[in-house]
Amino acid sequence: MDYALQQLLNALAFGAEYSLVALGLAVVFSIMGLVNFAHGEIIGVSAYSVFLAAALGLTSPFVAVLLAVGMAALAAVVFERVAFRPVRYAPTTTGLLTAFGVSIVVQNLFMLLISPKPQSVSILNGLNQMWFFGPFAVSSLQVMELIVSGLTILALVLFLNRSTLGLAIRAASRDFATVRLMGIRANRVIATAFAISGALAGIAAVFILARRGSVSPDLGFGLVLKAFVACVIGGFGSLPGAAVGGMLLGFIEVGLLVALPQEYAGFRDALTYAIIVALLVYRPEGLLGQRIELGDKEI
Amino acid sequence: MAGSELSQAVDQMAAPTGATRSSNALVRSLIGGLVTALPVLAIGLLVLNFAPTYYTFLALGAFVNLIVVVGLQVFMGNSNIANLGHSAFVGLGAYGVAILSTPLAMKKLSIPNAPFGFATLELDPVSSALIALLVVGIVALVSGKVISRLSGVAATIVSLALLIIVHSVFLNWTDLFKGNQAFFGIPKVVGLPWMLIFAVVAIVAARLFKDSRWGLQLRASAQSPQAAAALGIDAKKLRLMSWVLSALICGLAGVLYAYFAGTISPKLFYFQMIFNTLAMLILGGMATVTGAVTGVIVLSIGLEFIRSIESGVTVAGIQLPQLLGLSGVALGVVIVLCMAFRPSGISGRHELDELLSLLFRRNAK
Repeated sequence: MDYALQQLLNALAFGAEYSLVALGLAVVFSIMGLVNFAHGEIIGVSAYSVFLAAALGLTSPFVAVLLAVGMAALAAVVFERVAFRPVRYAPTTTGLLTAFGVSIVVQNLFMLLISPKPQSVSILNGLNQMWFFGPFAVSSLQVMELIVSGLTILALVLFLNRSTLGLAIRAASRDFATVRLMGIRANRVIATAFAISGALAGIAAVFILARRGSVSPDLGFGLVLKAFVACVIGGFGSLPGAAVGGMLLGFIEVGLLVALPQEYAGFRDALTYAIIVALLVYRPEGLLGQRIELGDKEI
Repeated sequence: MAGSELSQAVDQMAAPTGATRSSNALVRSLIGGLVTALPVLAIGLLVLNFAPTYYTFLALGAFVNLIVVVGLQVFMGNSNIANLGHSAFVGLGAYGVAILSTPLAMKKLSIPNAPFGFATLELDPVSSALIALLVVGIVALVSGKVISRLSGVAATIVSLALLIIVHSVFLNWTDLFKGNQAFFGIPKVVGLPWMLIFAVVAIVAARLFKDSRWGLQLRASAQSPQAAAALGIDAKKLRLMSWVLSALICGLAGVLYAYFAGTISPKLFYFQMIFNTLAMLILGGMATVTGAVTGVIVLSIGLEFIRSIESGVTVAGIQLPQLLGLSGVALGVVIVLCMAFRPSGISGRHELDELLSLLFRRNAK
């Protein structure tokens, strides 16, 4: 019972983390059709900026959290301005490959300018404690992860539904040209979308740092692959799909962690992906995706 | 311009297919492939006859990359879907021959507990290569069935997932693949002459596919899915076909790599190979086989130069520090700049023989 509850919390926490990252990806894709492979590097930039700040003498975890989220949003907007604007109206494959190139550049810049080896970051370790509720011992980090993810998603939904810019973003995902005709500046909409995407990644980065206590150049890359798979299984381009896909991926991972015997533990990643691919065989458009037939006028 | 491939497909489907017409096109395509392979042959023969051993080794590595990039071009260039998992097939080909053809004495050291009795099996290099390619083909068929049904972005991500699955199997099934450690002792039966021959074969095969009915229809369905479907073109079957052909060519590259290097490890067939070959294809031009060849030549030379700087050189008496990651930055910058300023790459849309014939026609006037 105790074990089951702990694993449930585990699954929810992992799922929440994947959901946050997947949502960041989905926001950008739904507006611009850009598959942002550099999303993991935004997490990396955020983590390395906390590392650098700690190395320069920062001690307050609160400031570190704000710094992480802020730097992530800033990095996202900078990436967009520098690398993605020239390929804004290019086909999807071009954007995907550009983002892949940006990801390679930034990862190697981390290696070149800082270090190829993992660096320890202990400033956020205070978040990762054990809380005791009666007979249950839970990780404070996982509880906070769940609460913060829930609040973040709520805030995102409120922003998208209640504010003008949010409305513009939702409209842009349907028909960008008409949004511009309505007098809303394209650059502002896109920059806001990237900033939101970056902020989501920054929040995820805080939790990753708190859990791992170290940062390495490929920190973001492995995570963003999982987030992509989560997006695909949920239905690429839909925001609820990204959240659902992230949760599903978290549950599959923890389920495999529980079910697999110790000697096959190394196959966990492979099996996770294999299960997702098998799901895609039956539902190629994703769980919440809509099957688009050629010639459909209204999506 | 966008509908040109489509209109060509329409013409081809409408016109009567006489025996002379199709054999004419076949011969033209064959000649085109050989012309495209000429620079490769020239460089290869130069290296074979005049270069010191170090350059032969480099050239062999570059030729393996060439075959991989040509295989990548067969899928990416014709279907316009980014494929980020091709090094899985290279690895499968390499490990296939490693497991089958390593001498028994070596195998006892490396994989004594191999399942299915592989530890006591030793085949000659040719049979091992054929069986390895068969395995690659089967994996490609199964994965291709899934990928050909998905839309462009989802297909790319599933190809990534395939790469991670295969790599994970290499790392964790230590009884069969020896895990993270190097698998040594593979018979070194391939030298520069065989490598050259197979490189030319791969280039000609890619060119034949591109100019064939299937290649044309695939490109048409990539440019305009709705119109192609209305013509009765089965895009899924064609994507599957090009996926399997691409995988076989990549598997061949893996087989050749194992046979010339004698030692392999899972790291070789993971993201580093993807970055390198992808950058080569993008720089050269995705749409043509000439682009694949051009990209490999340019980047192989460029990367060697950068790698020498990376490991710390002495310039004018000053010892520069080790700059690990510089080649990665250069690769990424190449990809980003290429996509921003010249998405069709160096060679654009025309093959080498097409460019030459345009040149001669212009001069003849």
